Amino acid sequence: MAAENLEAFFSDTGKSLGTEGVNRSEETIRRYGENTMACGDVMPAGVVYPASTADVQAIVRAANTHGIPLYPVSTGYNIGLGSRAAARAGQVVVDLGYRMNRILEIDEKLAFAVVEPGVSYQALYDELVRRGNKLMLDVTSGPPQGGMIGNALDKGAGYTPYFDHFGFSCGLEIVLGNGEILRTGDGALQSDTLANWHTSKYSFGPILDGLFAQSNYGIVTRMGVWLLPRPPMVRSFHFAFPEDSDLEEVIELCRPMKMSNFVPTLFRVANDLYLCGSEGESAEYHASKGKKSISDDGRRALREKHGLGAWNVSGAFYGPSAAALEPMIQRVRDHFGQSGKAKYIDHADAGGVGPLQVAINAFSGIPSLGELGLLKWRPGGGNLWFLPGTPMDGKIANEFQRICRGIYEEHGMDYMVMNVCGPRFARGLHVMTFNREDAEERARADACYRKMSEEVARRGVYVGRAPIQYHDFHMQQAMPVYRDACNNVKTALDPNGVIAPGRYGIG
Amino acid sequence: MQTAFSREQLAQPEIAEADGILKTCVHYGFCTGTCPTYVLFRDENDSPRGRIDLIRAMLEKGGAPAPRTVHHLDRCLSCLSCMTTCAVKVDYVHLIDIARSYIEKNFRRPLPDRMLRGLLAKTLPYPRRFAAALQLGRLAQPLAGFMPGRLRDLVGMAKARPVKMELLAPNVYLAQGERLMRVALLAGCAQQALDRNINAATIRILQRHGCDVIVADGAGCCGALPLHMGYERQARTLAAANVEAWSRLLDQGLDAVVVNASGCGTTVKDYGHLLGDENAKRIGAMTRDITEILAQLGLRVTGDMKPYRVAYHDACSLQHGQHVTEQPRRLLKTAGFTVLDVPEKHFCCGSAGTYNLLQPAIANALGQRKAAHVGSVDPDMIAAGNLGCMVQIGRFAETPIVHTVELLDWASGGPMPEALQGRTLRAPPPVAELSEQPAIMPSDAPPSGGAGIW
Repeated sequence: MAAENLEAFFSDTGKSLGTEGVNRSEETIRRYGENTMACGDVMPAGVVYPASTADVQAIVRAANTHGIPLYPVSTGYNIGLGSRAAARAGQVVVDLGYRMNRILEIDEKLAFAVVEPGVSYQALYDELVRRGNKLMLDVTSGPPQGGMIGNALDKGAGYTPYFDHFGFSCGLEIVLGNGEILRTGDGALQSDTLANWHTSKYSFGPILDGLFAQSNYGIVTRMGVWLLPRPPMVRSFHFAFPEDSDLEEVIELCRPMKMSNFVPTLFRVANDLYLCGSEGESAEYHASKGKKSISDDGRRALREKHGLGAWNVSGAFYGPSAAALEPMIQRVRDHFGQSGKAKYIDHADAGGVGPLQVAINAFSGIPSLGELGLLKWRPGGGNLWFLPGTPMDGKIANEFQRICRGIYEEHGMDYMVMNVCGPRFARGLHVMTFNREDAEERARADACYRKMSEEVARRGVYVGRAPIQYHDFHMQQAMPVYRDACNNVKTALDPNGVIAPGRYGIG
Repeated sequence: MQTAFSREQLAQPEIAEADGILKTCVHYGFCTGTCPTYVLFRDENDSPRGRIDLIRAMLEKGGAPAPRTVHHLDRCLSCLSCMTTCAVKVDYVHLIDIARSYIEKNFRRPLPDRMLRGLLAKTLPYPRRFAAALQLGRLAQPLAGFMPGRLRDLVGMAKARPVKMELLAPNVYLAQGERLMRVALLAGCAQQALDRNINAATIRILQRHGCDVIVADGAGCCGALPLHMGYERQARTLAAANVEAWSRLLDQGLDAVVVNASGCGTTVKDYGHLLGDENAKRIGAMTRDITEILAQLGLRVTGDMKPYRVAYHDACSLQHGQHVTEQPRRLLKTAGFTVLDVPEKHFCCGSAGTYNLLQPAIANALGQRKAAHVGSVDPDMIAAGNLGCMVQIGRFAETPIVHTVELLDWASGGPMPEALQGRTLRAPPPVAELSEQPAIMPSDAPPSGGAGIW
């Protein structure tokens, strides 16, 4: 990329967007390059702030003209997966969060919202509350300022019946790599009146929406989001199991409850460190200088302090009243009671336990900050998320626990995991916190991540989302035909390869 | 974050403290999304982590700070929204206070700035001087058009709110009925000059709920206003006077120091840090916002309050500084009001102590933004727990704004707040429609509509 091309790009973009639309200050470049990964910072060439879809088109066209790679972010709080850092150094970050943060529409009758990329969970939640709190959105347990479009396109998820954020999105507007605008679903109709754009995905022709999840074929500038009528009553239930090996039984107990959809939420099956880790720093980190995993005694002490188990199950029911939900709660208690090991924690008591209140908020569609405390477990600001999943088979899940726990310990990391369980599959949220300012510990974190990826792949398991530093690595784990197909689509929709080359290992 | 202070620098207590705080920041950047100035300007130097970096560089280098650094640090509201959001809980409030104090000691501001800041520091903490200054400001209104920018803004603000001054003399207001508590009330400084009703309502409701209320001889401004302008010595002097005044009451038994201006409450609760002695720590530990005390006492109401729609504004000092968010809402609901959350409630209104006087352009932008959000929930009235917010929001909102304690006092047998008198309040909806609120939801969840299917 020649320097004069870059200057010409910023000059053209400045003319289109105004001076407010371009930022090349040294501080901005440094901060946008920062991330929490093991690879170090990735400095962009500058940042641009579009205010409209037309602005995005102007940016993409200028990028094509001058051969400049772009890197779009929505709000940039993808902490542990890349933050706002670009796929490769020297790309121009297109920050959609600053000036494209409008809630374009809320249809209260059909229960959907239409948002721009900068709309956060907190912003939509606030607006729904303002309108009387009749509708509930599914939230993550991550940062409330996180962007809804960014999360959905990265296949992020929450915990309520509408947990699948990409699955419950409907109707996209995309600026393709060639600068043209594509509408998906019923929005593809050549018309000024689009009655079903955000109500139906199964319109005429191929379902193109999926091409824009975890890819780099365009910049999504608008998305419909389906909303759930807010239940008047949310009643959570929680069970603590004492032993690490109880995971097998937990998974076996959860599966029929989800397979039948008797429990409407997903199950959060979190280990001791995932829950207790959000409440404070590791008491053993400094003694071992971060070289050892926390001891079994240390974990036991944390469990006793917070009244939690080695594995902890949380779920919730929705209904008109507490009385109406009581029989369901009782049935779940009877079901989990079969094990003879589960300690029941009711809704009221759980409200007094910080990490369980996080679960209640998540089931209630309320953005909250509680889980971010996990990032303080070790000093130095390093954070990676390893996100494979297991079939909902207790023996397999336990085997994965054994493998991953062993690899964490081998690398002196602390095993922090939550399995978010559906009927057939559980996403395994593996948190890795490490001291990013310590080169040796950083290298261990990197090695730990790579080894786990290889070991689970050997057993037929792929990751879901991934930190951006590993996108090429994971794409190399795919079958060659899949890689070729992804690159061929890239060539068709973004012939000059200007949109985020390298993201998800494409282009 | 790595720092590079010399051994000599670290021998200075404030540098050592700053060093400890700086090292905890790991630049996750969650703070940026909830920082008002970053959201407005998208300038890294106007974000908490950007400012933290500027402070580090300024303190490491020593000597006079760069004007650019001062510019960005001056634009910080000290709203502490960043502290609520921060995953690793960086102690930003004490870091920015150290930085402000350093600037005042090491930076020569332009003459108009020095004059304005000096004027504010010499008048605001002293109610009689402040009242006189307000009167002067009013008299100068006709000349406002001929004045330079900042002075014009200042004079303009003097008319923003009618003066209802009442300076409380040292006194003991006895409990009605059985005495349950003996509390000291911080009568305040600017608040006494601007709105007598807040202290009057506070004293009435505390007496009604079994409290002896003492306005202590020798207590005055809490020190927050000079502290946040960097005048640490003046702040310490004021704080020490309060600690001494209230400590004298301890022998006869004192259950709490009650504060009804949350900006002051945050500072008084932190006296232990500011002064560092045991008495200060003791006073800080027994300090409560008025809503904390009333929640503890259990609010008794007449029961005939109509469910007027109250937009509750979370003052930053109350929500981010003291983490008091549930009690005011619960009390207002108990009192019979319909409590409405305001969108973007984590965001500052722009008042921020003297901020709206020193940074009027940003403060106006934030005030207008807040007023629009408040108006969007269609309230009959606005409630807030801090006079500064009341003045600031009142400049931009059509809806009357009152202190939370005025509404609670009204609902428990006191008079209708003066700001509501003479206004026609809408008839609230029938009670049946309001009874659909859920019995149990997460504690801060607002009521649900349910879309008619549950």
